[in-house]
Amino acid sequence: MIKSIQVVLLFLFCSSLSAVEIGKSIPSCNRLDLSEYKNKVLLIDFWATWCPPCKQSMPFLNALRNELADKGFEIIAINVDEETEVAQHFLNNYPVDYPVVFDPKGHCPLAYDVKAMPSSYFVDKKGKIRYVHLGFRHQDELEIRTRVLELLKGEL
Amino acid sequence: MLWYVGIKRTCLVLFMLLSAVLQAGCSVAPWERGNLAKTQMLIVPNPNRTALRRHVFDSKESSQGGMGAAGGGCGCN
Repeated sequence: MIKSIQVVLLFLFCSSLSAVEIGKSIPSCNRLDLSEYKNKVLLIDFWATWCPPCKQSMPFLNALRNELADKGFEIIAINVDEETEVAQHFLNNYPVDYPVVFDPKGHCPLAYDVKAMPSSYFVDKKGKIRYVHLGFRHQDELEIRTRVLELLKGEL
Repeated sequence: MLWYVGIKRTCLVLFMLLSAVLQAGCSVAPWERGNLAKTQMLIVPNPNRTALRRHVFDSKESSQGGMGAAGGGCGCN
């Protein structure tokens, strides 16, 4: 009985243990294979179709990615819709040029300790997280662009 | 044997109390809010229909207000 209580308590408290810190390596996530993106600046973007700011950010992110792709920048989008078909239908209507990973079970957002939707993790060429951007408004576009350019120059 | 039953009961009560208190740990993660974001989960799922019905109600009753709207029963909307 006491053992089962201990297990329940451990389960309840262990959810707050996972966290992502600036300057640390990106956490491992079974849905995500980043081996082919070594020496690239990455923006790992968590999005869902039910999240209006996520959808608003996509044209901007796509344009930014296409503009800076030849300089070593790539976006990896992680869709967290529970129904992947809905996301695929959305992407058929509004395609993007960057790779999209589907994670309906939410393994990756748990590993990254996502605090808001959308969340963007800026990763430098060494694979370290340098900045986390929460939410999206059109006013944020300049800041996102500046951060990416800084990472490409190796300044951040 | 009785002492064992007593401890068992105490543990059960303690477990139930902790379960009630630790409900705050059962939060919905940001990426799990797909169902909460559905239109039917809104308090007012159809704002246009609600506004129309409210307007009809105001006109029929010759009164206005009581639902958070500004103004009185002047009928000047």
